Amino acid sequence: MGEFDQHLLTIITFFPLVTALGLMATSILAKLLGADGLPASLWKPIALASSILTFLLSLRLFAVFDPLETGFQLVEHAPWIPEYGIQYFVGIDGISLLMVLLTTFLMPIILLASWNDISKSLRNYLFFMLSLETGMLGAFVSLNLFQFYVFWEAMLVPMYFIIGVWGGPRRVYAAVKFFLFTMVGSLLMLLAMLVLYYLNFDQTGVLNFDLVAPPGGEMGGLLQTVVPVDGIWWKTQTWLFAAFALAFAIKVPMFPLHTWLPDAHVEAPTSGSVVLAGVLLKMGTYGFLRFAIPLFPSAAVEFTPLMMTLSVIGIVYGSLVAMVQSDIKKLVAYSSVAHLGFVMLGIFALNVHGLTGGVLQMVNHGLSTGALFILVGMLYERRHTRQIADFGGEARPMPVFAACFGVVTMSSIGLPMLNGFVGEFLILVGTFLAAPIFAIIATSGVVLAAAYMLWMFRRVMFGPVDNPENRGLIDLGLREKVVMLSLLIPIIWIGVYPNPLLRRIEPSVIELIRQLEVRRGVVEVETEVAPEVDSEAAPEAEAEPEAKTETAKPDAPDSALPDEAEERL
Amino acid sequence: MIPAPDLNLSVLLPIILVAIGSMTILMGEVLLSRADTVLGREVTESFIGTVLAGTAIFFFALTLWASGVAFAGGGVQVFNPDNPMYQLDPFSSFVTAVLALSALLSCALSITYLSELRINHGEYYALIMLSASGMMLMVAAVDLIAVFLGLELMSIPIYVLAGFDRRKLRSNESALKYFLIGSFASAILLYGMALLYGVSGGTSFEALRAGFDADNPMALVGLGLVVVGFAFKISMVPFHQWTPDVYEGAPSAVTAYMSVTVKVAAFATLIRLLAMAFGPLEASLETIFWVLSALTIVVGNIMAIIQENVKRMLAYSSIAHAGYLMIGLVTGTIEGYSAMIFYLIAYTFMNLGAFGVVVALANRGNDCERIASFAGLARTRPGLAAVMALFMLSLAGIPGTAGFMGKFKIFMAAVNSGDIWLLIIGVLMSVVSVYYYLRIPVLMYMREPEDESHRTEIASGEGAVLVVCALAVLALGLFPNRVPTLLFGDLDVLDWANRSVGMFFGG
Repeated sequence: MGEFDQHLLTIITFFPLVTALGLMATSILAKLLGADGLPASLWKPIALASSILTFLLSLRLFAVFDPLETGFQLVEHAPWIPEYGIQYFVGIDGISLLMVLLTTFLMPIILLASWNDISKSLRNYLFFMLSLETGMLGAFVSLNLFQFYVFWEAMLVPMYFIIGVWGGPRRVYAAVKFFLFTMVGSLLMLLAMLVLYYLNFDQTGVLNFDLVAPPGGEMGGLLQTVVPVDGIWWKTQTWLFAAFALAFAIKVPMFPLHTWLPDAHVEAPTSGSVVLAGVLLKMGTYGFLRFAIPLFPSAAVEFTPLMMTLSVIGIVYGSLVAMVQSDIKKLVAYSSVAHLGFVMLGIFALNVHGLTGGVLQMVNHGLSTGALFILVGMLYERRHTRQIADFGGEARPMPVFAACFGVVTMSSIGLPMLNGFVGEFLILVGTFLAAPIFAIIATSGVVLAAAYMLWMFRRVMFGPVDNPENRGLIDLGLREKVVMLSLLIPIIWIGVYPNPLLRRIEPSVIELIRQLEVRRGVVEVETEVAPEVDSEAAPEAEAEPEAKTETAKPDAPDSALPDEAEERL
Repeated sequence: MIPAPDLNLSVLLPIILVAIGSMTILMGEVLLSRADTVLGREVTESFIGTVLAGTAIFFFALTLWASGVAFAGGGVQVFNPDNPMYQLDPFSSFVTAVLALSALLSCALSITYLSELRINHGEYYALIMLSASGMMLMVAAVDLIAVFLGLELMSIPIYVLAGFDRRKLRSNESALKYFLIGSFASAILLYGMALLYGVSGGTSFEALRAGFDADNPMALVGLGLVVVGFAFKISMVPFHQWTPDVYEGAPSAVTAYMSVTVKVAAFATLIRLLAMAFGPLEASLETIFWVLSALTIVVGNIMAIIQENVKRMLAYSSIAHAGYLMIGLVTGTIEGYSAMIFYLIAYTFMNLGAFGVVVALANRGNDCERIASFAGLARTRPGLAAVMALFMLSLAGIPGTAGFMGKFKIFMAAVNSGDIWLLIIGVLMSVVSVYYYLRIPVLMYMREPEDESHRTEIASGEGAVLVVCALAVLALGLFPNRVPTLLFGDLDVLDWANRSVGMFFGG
């Protein structure tokens, strides 16, 4: 690996922030010198170019990433505050690779989509957007718990400003609510982190926040910590998991902690909604995958019924509430609650299908819901309303728009050959293997999703053009077409040929399950097995999703986790 | 004939420097007021702003340097070996350096503010220096009498400073209130000291430690009274009621100075008292501090929510921060104390910065006090709004800022000593604090400007202080172990905090 690739993650993570700081520095410098500085019209292309470059760099990441290797790749480890075991430690596995790609992919699209949205203090807006990108990327690649926490919280600040400054009429309320909700969870998580840190210190004698052993280090990371199942209450897995889970569940958001989401989504500007739905919510599910579940596996299993129940409640409740919304944006926001319920259901199935589907659905939801928010934004830009009742027959004046909206709607519903299907299917299979009753209830969510999305689509797109204001609407311009096209490509591509992604997710997921078993003491540590897993799993992943179900279906529906894992071996 | 005691004047060098500076300024003021009739008021005004403030800054810088050298040298020296009252050790020299730095910044902050409020008198700097010398005496004291002497020398000039805007009723009220309550506190402290003397037969910390009997009720009462005396100074709940009134009434620059330095000095003295004198009573103190800390955190944060005046809000926030600092006292470990020292440094910069913004907005005799007057500041004064937002985020403890590192260290120490309930209270109240700290960025960035006449120009002194504070807040938050400076290389503040309290633990 070349020198460049070794620092690739760091470069990708900090490139947007460096651009943002550089732009800010020029304007401060210009002010000090009494000059005008770069005109705001130049800031936009520079920010866009920076985000595109970041995306290209992450494509390189995709190319360099070795799907057959388990564990973390492209790691970089440097001392930060070594006295306390706080290191700069980044690395990715298949899961974080996809999250990084999703983030860097969405960011230029968001900037392009909101090209004309923002007129008020544009410079600050771009500064916050770019620093937000660094915050999100940093959280996805962090392998040091402290570092993760810093990014996780620091990310709030730009998002808070984006909602609060550039949002709708109730923006301040929404921004503060968003900030406070997240803070409650994260501060308790910080305490749990510290408890875990000292547990690890008691066992190893080393102060350490690294999740796994750094390259060349002999001490294991926090993942090697033995967390007691009972004993002093605040040192038990149950409570530590609860603290982590609360922080992540608020971010996901899981029912009943979702109330900040509709407010934040509706009030945020289009770009803010896309970032929220596309990436920020994934931070919660990612947190479960990377931290809460592997660190406290017994508690995770113990909590599974609760988590699954909350997930299906989220699916059904989110869908039902979406059905009665009169505001399109709010409808999409509640559909997010339902979709994220699916993701959580897949994750807590804790088997290969469920987890793989969950991770893939994280990407899918980012693309579909992001695209939906952009489309709603385009409508709003033209009509300055988001009420479904105000629209009707939009397909006539805006055929291209309607076509795009149609495809995205279908993908959100989970129509075969589009991305949503693959993820939801895998999740339902995984859930069925783990707990069939939940899978049955969740399936009703798919039906409900079709109902509320298609109903909305029909009312907005078809029918007579009753409202004279809808008559002269202009169809998508070139910029908007570019935006939609770049979103539709992956939406269709993942639906038809998801293997390149699945091939990268599966080894990481299998590794996660193996670790889970090891840490729960179910399976003996078999270091020799790990490489074999990948070489066998990879070709299997090539198979079409349909084929996968056939191998999976003969399994007894109540097959326990170990069986499932062994079957994969 | 009594042999001359073998005095070691270098122990008192920082304090002597500050005292000399204070005298110089008093003399200079007298000379200037003579020249007033000849040169005209305008010229003397500018002399006060440049020469006298410059003298104060110069002497504080000398003190900073002297105590820095002493800290680097390490080791313990006593002033008078026969009767040790003052002691130069890593702890005292480090805290003295922090005090000198914050006093220096306060002086630089005051220059333009004083002439805006038309209270530009030279005594101001002399009083600041006198009170600073009192603080420095107090943190170097290893004897109850010396502690009391330092405390009074610290307090009395601050009573005067609080009423420095003598034409304003509220400033007078503030001074009187502070003076009365402060006197009560001093009396209570003194009473406690007398009881402790009665128990142990000596006033030096060593005698106290040796002579304590934890079962003796007189010792406990004495200890309680001493704690109460300090509780007034650091505004622990329920001894906090004076704080908002005094902070509100005093001129903002004075509030900036006293909210930071008094807290640093009083907390440092408490640490020394606990570590050197009250060691045997640790267990009974822990419960008291636990309750007081929880109360202080809760009351400070809840009360801050409903404030409409920035200075009152910051006053309650400073009460809440005192509560967080007390978590360190509850732990009683080296980790806890070093976290407190670090937290105090972080607090110094962020609080000075926040008050600095209030000072920089004061216009023609009016303080910019209403929270509502921050509306739309991002539009009219983008630079000031940006640093204010940073200070607010730091006070709220958002990662990447000094305030977060401080809280993190305190939480770390408390988790390690197992005070989980206190932490849960602290953490939940932190969320509350985010609410009221965010109000100011909300107003600055998310509301339209009101028709309020702020000052439109920032003075160079204020600008420099705000830049230093903002950079320090960021640097301490991101690289506390190697704060980059252009002149002196990277500073390991974390290590310094450890070293300064390490001496109490045989380090």
